[in-house]
Amino acid sequence: MAESTQMFKPHFTEEARGLAYYLGKMNGYAALKKALAMTPEAIIDEMKKSNMRGRGGAGFPTGVKWGFIPKQSPKPKYLVCNADESEPGTFKDRDIMRYTPHLLIEGMLIGGHAIGAATGYIYIRGEYVREAKLLNEAIDEAYAKGYLGKNILGTGFNFDLTVHRGAGAYICGEETALLNSLEGKRGEPRVKPPFPAQSGAFAGPTIVNNVETLAAVPMIINNGGEWFAKLGRLEKSGGTRLISVSGHVKKPGVYELDAGSVTIRELIYNVCGGILGDKKLKAVIPGGSSAPVLSADEIDVIYDIEPLMKIGSMMGSAALMVVSEDYCVVRLLKRITKFYAHESCGQCTPCREGCKWMEDILHRLEDGHGREQDLALLLDIADNINGKTLCALGDAAAGPVSSFVKKFRADFEAHIRGGKCPNA
Amino acid sequence: MPKCIIDGREVEFTPGQNLIDVAKSAGIEIPFFCYHPGLSVVAQCRMCAVEIEKFPKLQTACSTPATEGMVVKTQSDKVKQNQKSVMEFLLINHPLDCPVCDKSGECDLQDQSYGYGSAYMRTSEERRTYVDLDMGPVIQKNMNRCIHCTRCIRFGDEVAGIREMVAIQRGNNTEITTIDGKQLQTEYAGNYADICPTGSLTLKDFRFKKRAWFLKKTPTICEGCSRGCSLELQHEANVIYRCIARENKEVNKHWICDEGRFNYHYVQESDRITEPAVKQGTALQMSAWKQAVLSAREAVAGKKVAVLVGSDLTQEEAAMVQQFAKSKLASAPVFHFGTPGVESAKDDDAADSLLKRKSKTANLHGMEKLGIAPFTAMPSGVHAAIVFRGGRAQLPTLAVSTRIGVGVFKRSESLEFEAVLPGTAFAEKDGTIVNFMGMEQRLKRAIAAPRECKSLSEILMMWTNL
Repeated sequence: MAESTQMFKPHFTEEARGLAYYLGKMNGYAALKKALAMTPEAIIDEMKKSNMRGRGGAGFPTGVKWGFIPKQSPKPKYLVCNADESEPGTFKDRDIMRYTPHLLIEGMLIGGHAIGAATGYIYIRGEYVREAKLLNEAIDEAYAKGYLGKNILGTGFNFDLTVHRGAGAYICGEETALLNSLEGKRGEPRVKPPFPAQSGAFAGPTIVNNVETLAAVPMIINNGGEWFAKLGRLEKSGGTRLISVSGHVKKPGVYELDAGSVTIRELIYNVCGGILGDKKLKAVIPGGSSAPVLSADEIDVIYDIEPLMKIGSMMGSAALMVVSEDYCVVRLLKRITKFYAHESCGQCTPCREGCKWMEDILHRLEDGHGREQDLALLLDIADNINGKTLCALGDAAAGPVSSFVKKFRADFEAHIRGGKCPNA
Repeated sequence: MPKCIIDGREVEFTPGQNLIDVAKSAGIEIPFFCYHPGLSVVAQCRMCAVEIEKFPKLQTACSTPATEGMVVKTQSDKVKQNQKSVMEFLLINHPLDCPVCDKSGECDLQDQSYGYGSAYMRTSEERRTYVDLDMGPVIQKNMNRCIHCTRCIRFGDEVAGIREMVAIQRGNNTEITTIDGKQLQTEYAGNYADICPTGSLTLKDFRFKKRAWFLKKTPTICEGCSRGCSLELQHEANVIYRCIARENKEVNKHWICDEGRFNYHYVQESDRITEPAVKQGTALQMSAWKQAVLSAREAVAGKKVAVLVGSDLTQEEAAMVQQFAKSKLASAPVFHFGTPGVESAKDDDAADSLLKRKSKTANLHGMEKLGIAPFTAMPSGVHAAIVFRGGRAQLPTLAVSTRIGVGVFKRSESLEFEAVLPGTAFAEKDGTIVNFMGMEQRLKRAIAAPRECKSLSEILMMWTNL
């Protein structure tokens, strides 16, 4: 396991926050100067070369996404940063906003120049009260120094940036629901097409990117797309990844590792110090709670987008949740399902009705009132939701149910036959 | 025209048409709940999902425009499985109180359960319930039956121009209700019931009156204003129970106003004069037809007469009256009346931003076509007036000593009349009316005239020949 490049992690300290540190120690706003001298096409090209794949969860190539923005548009264009970070288990964006807010601001400025947007929004989850305040302080600093506002660095480029706080709905992390919420509407996903790049915020062409994605942009511009691409050990996935590790490990926290440089086993046992109390590993949720679960014998997979997809799970927001043998997986699945049922927006039928139905069944099951046919029914409901909903929340709820029931069937059956949790 | 392939058949389409409409034009039904041709597309119910070649996932037909060469399957196993699953999802919380639901028999949810659902229920969990607030005089709400299609929200917002229905709460607890639980404000509230695909929003006026499957349906035209919206009168055993909108792209699209929807009530009100009546002393008394006609004729004999026709009469009736006045009443002058302040087509503007017109009678424009002048004041020297009315035209002040009414009158408004010869209302006759756009539309007889009421031609025949 070779050393990973540390772009973010060393700066996750209280001292790093101000503009002085950013300018002095992090070569701050140099990338902006460089980018403003480049054409938008050249920036998008550099992003394509970098193999940056969206860090919010879907892993879509960022350069390609920026390329979707129409050159001519009668409506203003917008760059929106998705700082809703609400996938359970994910807390990496929080550190970026808390310690290196100027990285995000500079990334958004470069992104704004690349797509031709003069307005940016940071949509931040309502619970991040402190981070919203810190971001606003950093934005004020940037305005004061002329990095934001009109005629930035004397180049004629204008860019305004506003922090918009969400009101506490998971669904507002879905980009079109986020845009609705930003516009003051009910946070419900929109029908796609049209995609935000054609018609997004206030019906203007809009790009929505994750915090980590945008915060990496200055480093891509400074060092070149190829440098960034080479950080990744696998093809088509560049850069480092901020990984949020939680659950039953000795050293939980945010880690920065070159993309594809470790297996999950190495991550748990070498990087995070192994399982709490040296217990046996029961399960790993590799990419935020919506990612299909992995059993203990599946963890020799390389922790990156493609390898996880190949074994039927996903990297998601790179939030690894580790579960030791002591914890009841039925209870865990019930809790996850309850979350998605609670966060379903209620627009489309399969998600509104199906998620709650699964929760009800799991609730019964955990209490020892399950029936033999419940497991088949759960799998069937998950199947009927998966891929058939308006947005990805349905899939997010269905994936855990299918994978838990299939991989830990014995635990579920023990609850049904024993009439109670065997661990209780 | 471009073509796509649906279930192996080549189907022509107009660019922009969605797959539901394209399939429908070829006689292929794609089931749906939330889609409505008059409202925006939200793709929420997921019932209309179809398989399209080159798309890995099912696509909702409502939100997918047909494209040249698109290959669509509406009957594949994947599609059928999805329909079955959507039906199951929609029914796990639906009360299934069809036996006591007014929507039963004309309910999309019921029909599609029959067509696409399963006979077996796999849920044993408790059903979701809500407490309903009063929504005002027009709509009865039952949120437990709601399937969250949001048609009502979109109707208010996009058509009626008032955002009064909203979704509150979230997920499984989502409730469709009015803002702050207020009563409905729109004057088009009845449409909420028309477009609701379940019994969640029903008409209070129709509540528990009749099972839908007993109703006979007559397509006709609204006589409520000069727009002439397309209606359907629904009746059984000569009683009208309900009136709903009929689609007419040029006139009213899919909608009607509440005034037009409930206008039919006067036809079967107890105050309507349905027997020939003659003034005896100070009050109108029921009489036989022969005696009433003779009394009426006698009352105007030797007097200078003016003829007033309501602009709620049909073209045929008005022309008949014109001819009658000319040949049998010594060319008495003929005037039309209907809405105070709206004397001619020039005065007849839009009364709101949706459908309503200022003229509160249906045939003002037809009257002008026949060359009938508006009634402003009684010409000097006239001592008797014969008033012909369909039922809706508002009676002007009649400054004469002798008044005869022919047509539909209430007892309360005929106290000053010498005689009333009861005629037919719009639901009881065929005829032509001309709307404000100059379109000639046909009234169709839905029910027989009550008791002794006779058609205008019969009454004039008696007047002439007795």
